[in-house]
Amino acid sequence: MASSCVHVGRQIHKTGRIFQRGARDILQRRYVGLGSAACQQSAAEVSGSAEEIVIPRKKTWNKETVLQALAATVNRDPTASNYVLQDDSYLIPNSYAQFKLFTLSKESGRNTAKYFINTYPKYFQKDFAEPHIPCLMPETLELEIEEVSEAALIERIQLRKVKAAVDMYDQLQQSGTPLSVDLTNDLLDLICLYGDQDPAPEQGSDYMGEDQEDVKKKEGIPQRDSGISRWRENNNAERIFHIMPERTRRSYGALIRGMVKYGAYSKAFDMYTDMLNNRLTADVHIFNALITAAPEVREQIQEKWELVLNLLKQMAKQDVKPNLLTFHAVLRCLRRSRHLAKVFSVFNEMKALGIAPSLATYNLILGIVYKQASFAKGHTEILEKVLDEISGKSFTPQDPDDVKFFINAMRICQEAKDIELAYKLHSVVGVGENWKLLGESYFQNIYYWRFFSLLCMMENIDVVLKWYKELIPSLYYPTAQGMRDFLQALDTDNRLDLIPQIWKDIKQMGYGNMSDMVEEILSLMAREKQSPEVQQAFADCALDIKGLYMTQSGPLTWSGISLRCITSILLAAERTQQAWEMLNLFKPNNRVPPESLMNDFLASIKASNKAQQAVELVQISASFCLPVTPSLIERVQQEFELTEEQRNVLTDLESSADMSD
Amino acid sequence: MIWRSVDLRRTALRTLLQLQLNMAASTFCPVLLPLSRINCKLNGIYTLISLNKTAAYSTGLSVKKTGAKTGLPQRGGKELRRQIKQVLQPRTERMAVDQDWTAVYPTAASFKADAVPLPVRMGYPVKKGVPPSKKGNLELLKIPNFLHLTPNAIKKQCEALKPFCTEWPAALDSDEKCEKHFPIQVQKKDYVFAGPSLRHPDARIVTLTVKLSSLNLDDHARKKMIKLSGERYNKDTDTLTITADSCPLKQQNHDYAMYMLTVLYHESWKIEAWEKEKTRADMEEYVWEDSPSQKNILETLLRIRPLSEQQEEGEVREELLGREEVQEYKDSVTKLKNEGETEGNMQQYKEAVKKLLSI
Repeated sequence: MASSCVHVGRQIHKTGRIFQRGARDILQRRYVGLGSAACQQSAAEVSGSAEEIVIPRKKTWNKETVLQALAATVNRDPTASNYVLQDDSYLIPNSYAQFKLFTLSKESGRNTAKYFINTYPKYFQKDFAEPHIPCLMPETLELEIEEVSEAALIERIQLRKVKAAVDMYDQLQQSGTPLSVDLTNDLLDLICLYGDQDPAPEQGSDYMGEDQEDVKKKEGIPQRDSGISRWRENNNAERIFHIMPERTRRSYGALIRGMVKYGAYSKAFDMYTDMLNNRLTADVHIFNALITAAPEVREQIQEKWELVLNLLKQMAKQDVKPNLLTFHAVLRCLRRSRHLAKVFSVFNEMKALGIAPSLATYNLILGIVYKQASFAKGHTEILEKVLDEISGKSFTPQDPDDVKFFINAMRICQEAKDIELAYKLHSVVGVGENWKLLGESYFQNIYYWRFFSLLCMMENIDVVLKWYKELIPSLYYPTAQGMRDFLQALDTDNRLDLIPQIWKDIKQMGYGNMSDMVEEILSLMAREKQSPEVQQAFADCALDIKGLYMTQSGPLTWSGISLRCITSILLAAERTQQAWEMLNLFKPNNRVPPESLMNDFLASIKASNKAQQAVELVQISASFCLPVTPSLIERVQQEFELTEEQRNVLTDLESSADMSD
Repeated sequence: MIWRSVDLRRTALRTLLQLQLNMAASTFCPVLLPLSRINCKLNGIYTLISLNKTAAYSTGLSVKKTGAKTGLPQRGGKELRRQIKQVLQPRTERMAVDQDWTAVYPTAASFKADAVPLPVRMGYPVKKGVPPSKKGNLELLKIPNFLHLTPNAIKKQCEALKPFCTEWPAALDSDEKCEKHFPIQVQKKDYVFAGPSLRHPDARIVTLTVKLSSLNLDDHARKKMIKLSGERYNKDTDTLTITADSCPLKQQNHDYAMYMLTVLYHESWKIEAWEKEKTRADMEEYVWEDSPSQKNILETLLRIRPLSEQQEEGEVREELLGREEVQEYKDSVTKLKNEGETEGNMQQYKEAVKKLLSI
């Protein structure tokens, strides 16, 4: 049996031409038999046969095409969790926190393994993998060349050791070795990319996600705090730049982009004028950086826009073609402006230049148009137009803001309460590779949360249930609020009979300890009397919940609502014995049973006609000093056949009640 | 081992107990201890504290301890709470009856009791019991399962693989024609394998089958070829099967198999010098000429009809052999020897002998 490496892939968008004929073909006629000279007989027969046997030309294809074709037959299993996790009941996460824990632990294990392989490479030299997998072999992260030479500098640049590279460069300068301009430019690129500091040791992508979770909420504002330092004065980049005998456009570019990345905006502009003075033209990356920096060096919105326009004009004069990131930078500039016309003119110009917009473009446009929440309510035409444009297209990631498109669009749908748009948006997610642009698990969860809450609000219960089965818990781990919305939807559509099942799911998700959630479920169940089977199911569920309350060390403590609800559910299901036990729990927990409960009890006791129980009920009621006690006594005296002592007890109680009045 | 620390009302009692608990932790031994209760009296209130020590793998209705807002286990601190994973229902209970099974088992995977919604039982029923159920059943894990090859899955995969195939030549519409034009059939297997290496060791095996009737062989060549191939020749279907697996690559094995066939063919046509020494014991089938049976019958017939002086022995021989009864006898004996003893054969022999001896 082949060892399993279960990969449940998503639907792979089938490309039209899987096969490559023609140029890459090696003409191979598929001879099933006619190979050897031994079969002379057969050869003779072929030529002599009446019908000509045409053997078609053999098709050739890519190495992975067969696997991709087979993988395209597999859909997603809605009950299974993410494919990276182990498929075992005990190892499937039930909540977002657990999912994060499991995936992070897997990632951490991977990092640990990588650390060991890189630290002790001599034990990991044997290569089992066929074909060879280079990323699994040990990497050399330590410097090997120690003497002062150009090769040493190249090595340090490649291993991204900023300080060591700068030291080596200085040593080379002192020893007088001439260095090529390209090498110096490489060094400048390295320093400016990392801001003159050694990069932090490699961590998995998820770790970065954890730190920057709050950063995500500020959508797109360049982050100056949290990990990215400022551009220091007199740092190595500037120093080396000034020592350089000859500076090319690449050197200027490295410095300008580094300055913009690390917040020295005005310096960047000075560097730019310096560059123009040296009669060098800038390239598209420099202009992108400058346009990004433009809003920071001017105060008024109008001035900012003028500066950006100025830069664009210079770009045109220097004959530099803008690219996608240029337009993104321009759109980010317009974030605070109110003139939507400018936004659309930028977009149209982008289309006119033939640059295909990516999802980040649409995200920026939507962000500008729908800045205020109230705006979304009536005006979803722009979102509709955007969805029309992108439907059926598969996007690749081109800008870090691509991942924000789906959650923003879903937010707009949610605020506008437009379910059709949401369906359209969700169908876009299903096209080709777009699912990758949903972002990491945090963004995915937000997207599905918004989608699901919109569904709960707008659709009827069957559709909601269908989506519930589809999304939860394989794609989306609902929060407590999400489950409450779902319960509300159930309530609205009068499908309370599903509550026992939902309760199981809620327990599994870990919300079974939240007292308000439990109380809400109980009150929904206790509100009205249901049909017998449903009532029995409710009773079982109530007993289960009672078990949770009864565990002494649990976080759930009895409250008035919970006691009352459970008792009334049990009564309605005619489980009198257990209801009686519940009644005895009121006193130890210092709660008073309500009057309606007492009356219901009496009614059920009457049905079973147990006089002793009725008397006990009255005694309990008297012990709580309930105002309903006298009426209870009266009813019991009238409706039941009592023995002598029971009557005595009742008269005592009556008198004591009278006396207390 | 799992602790449950009780939420106490008096903080003093709490800190006191925690000291005790921590001390107990350091001297803890991983053995199941029975339920132990400590009754304390503090200011007239009896507080019941129970220290529960249960095994780690409790399933079913064990309650999750920490607050649901953070599902992460809280390490350290004053209260050590461990989280018990709550597994109430396996995946199977959420599966719809009309779900897409190919999504659950897309590739070959071991049997997962929580993913297969069938009440399978397997194993030896001990002491008049029933075979054990599927949960945690090692027997079900050991055997190969074909859950990934339901008819639906095979249909889907065939549909997906159809674009990779070329058309069947229209002229080859019957088996005989295929036999006629393409007598040699080569079988090769491709595997989708995922392990440390992607290469499956059995992918190099090449099997070549050919019917000897389609080869140009005369009697001697055919017999020699059959002798040379030995085990590889199937007499019932008249096929020669050559399996090549000694080379590491499929192409090499294919070439080797074709080479083998060529060599066999040419060798079987050659007649070596020592083949003349083929004795009667080496013959594949019984030949009546020069056999003891022929000698015997001739002698018997000669004795019945004694030789007259005119006739020579050689002529008599010829004449006797040419007689019809003798031919019949020859046929029946050859049949008996070659095909074994059957009712029909024995009858035929009996008739032939009766005729010959004029009984």
